[in-house]
Amino acid sequence: MTGKHPICRDLEPDLVAAAIGEAGAAAAERVGEHVRRCPPCRDEFTRYRQIEGVVEGLKSHPAGGDEARSRRTLACRLADLERRRVAYRIFPSPLGNLLIARSADGVTLVEYLGHARTIAASRLARAKNVDPVEDGGELERLYRELMEYLEGRRKRLDWPLDFRLARGEFDRLVLSTAAHIPYGAVTSYAGVARELGRPSAARAVAQALRWNPLPIVVPCHRVVGSSGALVGYAGSKLGLKEQLLSVEGVSTRRAQGDPEIAREAMYHLMRGETEYCLPTCGSIARRSLAELTLFGTREHAEALGLDPCTTCRPDLHPDL
Amino acid sequence: MGEAPFEGIVEAHHREIHRYLGRLTRGSAIADDLAQETFLRAYRSWKALPEGANVRAWLFTIATNVMRNHFRGEKRRTRAHDTVKASTREAGPDRPDGAASASEALTLVESVVATLPLKQRSAFVLRKVHELEYDAIGGALGCSADSARAHVFQALRKIRHGLDGRELTAVPEVPR
Repeated sequence: MTGKHPICRDLEPDLVAAAIGEAGAAAAERVGEHVRRCPPCRDEFTRYRQIEGVVEGLKSHPAGGDEARSRRTLACRLADLERRRVAYRIFPSPLGNLLIARSADGVTLVEYLGHARTIAASRLARAKNVDPVEDGGELERLYRELMEYLEGRRKRLDWPLDFRLARGEFDRLVLSTAAHIPYGAVTSYAGVARELGRPSAARAVAQALRWNPLPIVVPCHRVVGSSGALVGYAGSKLGLKEQLLSVEGVSTRRAQGDPEIAREAMYHLMRGETEYCLPTCGSIARRSLAELTLFGTREHAEALGLDPCTTCRPDLHPDL
Repeated sequence: MGEAPFEGIVEAHHREIHRYLGRLTRGSAIADDLAQETFLRAYRSWKALPEGANVRAWLFTIATNVMRNHFRGEKRRTRAHDTVKASTREAGPDRPDGAASASEALTLVESVVATLPLKQRSAFVLRKVHELEYDAIGGALGCSADSARAHVFQALRKIRHGLDGRELTAVPEVPR
């Protein structure tokens, strides 16, 4: 190699290229010209042609491993990944940055991120057995529907729900019960606990709703304390709870600084009854919220097929 | 990237990607794991792939990165096993006339390929076995098309010198 003529040395890259069929026409001609006159380069050229011939055989030569078995294992792992996959997207909204996520089973998470803009701030990032993947398309529709809902232009979010981020079986039970609290209605933590058949579990219900992975969709904003105080919402977002209730026609007021529902301005429904009453009907005003469901408007009560009470006749009192 | 199910991508490309990884890991069962890893990673990002993207080149890029990570983790892998000497000995006893049969020649070439630095090895296999364009090879290796080409040529030179003194089966030798 060291003894190579400078011309041969300069030509070497073209020679290799020509031998493997990658040289341009001019270079190939130059190489052809040269190897006819230069025996060492001719040998070299032949050698590269031979190697090219051998290398060609690599294409059909088995490369090892067990392709079929590898693919079968891959199919299982992909199916597992598919089950764990949760597509998410973060939307800038009037409520601050809002993360919406869904799996193949249903909507998994609606989360107020405040000013944070990345998944690092989300509970998705810390969830086990969840594989978050940022996604565009399909979540856009959910976000649009949610905004329509917040503006009062939509009363139902008919989304399939996936409670996999709930903390446990009890929480899952609480969430699926709370999911059925109707639009425009208000109940209490103790009321939900009774509904579950666990009348003493009001605090546990409150904790479960505190960790509600699907606020707005699972309307935990419709659940208040037994005194009528709003108590809490998504950490310290009581204002948001007020706002959500007001969209549904439920008015609140401030008692010593803390917001509470204006119970005397709401229609009352006793547990198990099919007629709704004025707050002044009999002794209903003194009943515990655990036994009642309240409505801000008659329209929302009647939307459920409830009739006005034949004694107090709420239908004759259009305003409370 | 459209709505075509990911299974279609696996169906179309798994065999080739698996072969690529098998060749670069010298036929070990690690290729199975690396191929799975490649497609699992691809699955995570394929929906973000722009319309009309070259899926095949993209998969080769992921496979190459998965493999490089693997080898990085195995830095201490003994090079002694990969030397030409050791490998050529595996290729079987020399014939009296010094000529290698077609399959021996192939084994010889593979044993030299195994001694190449990873980038050259990948570039060589991507080009000569899978016939990728240099652009795509550059994409897979994180270098320019020109560098990719230089890697392939350097690999060929090393193969050529690694096989010095070995007769290979004759192939057409006249320049076109």
